[in-house]
Amino acid sequence: MNVITNSNIQSTLGLAALESVLDPEIGLNVVDLGLIYQLNFNSKDLVLTCTMTLTTQFCPMGESITDGVKQALQKTFRDHAVNIVLTFEPAWDHERISEAGKSFLNQ
Amino acid sequence: MSKENENNVQTKTTSHRVVIPFYLYAAFSLLIATILLFTSTDAFLEHYFHPHILAITHLMALGWGTMVILGASHQLIPVLIDGKLYSTKLAYTSFILSAIGIPLLVYGFYTFNMGPISKWGGRFVVLSVLTYLINLGMSISKSKNDNIHSVFIFTAAAWLFITTFFGLTLVYNFTTTVLPENSVHYLPLHAHTGIIGWFLMLVIGVSSRLIPMFQISKYTNVKLLWIIYSLLNISLLLYTYIFHFSLATPNTLIPGILLFAAILLFIYYCYNSFKQRIRKQLDEQMKISLLSVVMILLPVILLLVIIFILVKTLQVQTNLATTYGFLIFFGWLTAIILGMTFKTLPFIVWNKLYHQRVGTGAVLNPKELFNNKIFTIMSLAYIAGFALFVSGILLAISALLLAGASLLLITAVLYNWNVILILTHKPETK
Repeated sequence: MNVITNSNIQSTLGLAALESVLDPEIGLNVVDLGLIYQLNFNSKDLVLTCTMTLTTQFCPMGESITDGVKQALQKTFRDHAVNIVLTFEPAWDHERISEAGKSFLNQ
Repeated sequence: MSKENENNVQTKTTSHRVVIPFYLYAAFSLLIATILLFTSTDAFLEHYFHPHILAITHLMALGWGTMVILGASHQLIPVLIDGKLYSTKLAYTSFILSAIGIPLLVYGFYTFNMGPISKWGGRFVVLSVLTYLINLGMSISKSKNDNIHSVFIFTAAAWLFITTFFGLTLVYNFTTTVLPENSVHYLPLHAHTGIIGWFLMLVIGVSSRLIPMFQISKYTNVKLLWIIYSLLNISLLLYTYIFHFSLATPNTLIPGILLFAAILLFIYYCYNSFKQRIRKQLDEQMKISLLSVVMILLPVILLLVIIFILVKTLQVQTNLATTYGFLIFFGWLTAIILGMTFKTLPFIVWNKLYHQRVGTGAVLNPKELFNNKIFTIMSLAYIAGFALFVSGILLAISALLLAGASLLLITAVLYNWNVILILTHKPETK
């Protein structure tokens, strides 16, 4: 789970907010699942761009997850416009799951 | 249900409106089939070519198995082929044609009237399958990625078309001479193209993608899946060849053994996926689905026994043949659907009701849309009912058949109850 960012402080806040967004099938949050690739804050234009992925491109739950990410970020950064950029390059794989995520799945 | 994202990456999934009618129809079919089973238990002590058994078998195969699989596959096509469903209109058309055709056909069998009602029923079903095949073929051809799962499901749909077209020919053959022999003679061929070509091929194609996905397993083995695919098709083509040229019975063992090998390899695939899973916890629905993987072995072992007895005595043991059919439709196929319904339907409905609420506060989990206690009782009633009914056929004891049918009817009622709970769920926050 490596999230690239240009603002560590704001990113910490954003990732904390995203811990409330769960993959409904797995029950694990999108941060520990490794779906979030990048949080980029443009403080001049007040735009937050979240680059993320899904476990599979045509995931039936995909819309719920990306909507959830957008809404959670919007709630935290009310003064920012939130953009979600969905990418499948690189594709998600198990190595992106955090240690906390792995121990959750091991329970 | 289009996903808007700023960089326009295609993630389109199939609308719930297309999928839900299939599930509802299938649930109702299971209920009717178990009512017919309950009122026709004595028919299972006679020859399997009995109007009531034919009606129940077709209701289970088409109304229950095929409808729920078509519904789920319309939803899962994007996941399986990495592309979107070509046409929702074709999906609706496929549903409507089947929804009209199946009751006509089942009624025709139940009353053993092979006249216009059965023929129209058969025509509607064939057209429905053709529509599905076109929709699937177009979806795959427009998808950018080729994968083994697409090959499995397209081949399965092609076998379904062959099965239903041949079935319609058999219906015609009752009243007009179309084939050299009577329709009863061709029944094993019709049944096996449907069971192996359609159900088994599709279930393996879909499960080989979903089981590792649900378990978050690291395991993939495309080469093994190609071997399984080849074994299944060679087995079925060889059986058709042996049947067509009326070759000596011992030859039937060869496709039987190839089929057995394909299933053992698929179980090996599932075992490896299970061993390399990251997600250790398995829910009840996943457990019953994995149980159904092992349950495929029961009818195949019985099939080999039937062939051995046939080779030795030149006679088919009627009760064994009936048990074989029951193990497939009420055993393996029903087990996989009972489990997978509650692994897919709650998510489809939840996605419709809650997708805009995710991230705004605590929302219900999809698994909370149905009652897990009802699910557990349903599973127990199913396992007991299935075991009692199979014992009843093998031991020819009416009381066991009746007890088994009662429990299977209870299973169907509880299944419908949970399906209705999911479909009538009103959104709420925790």
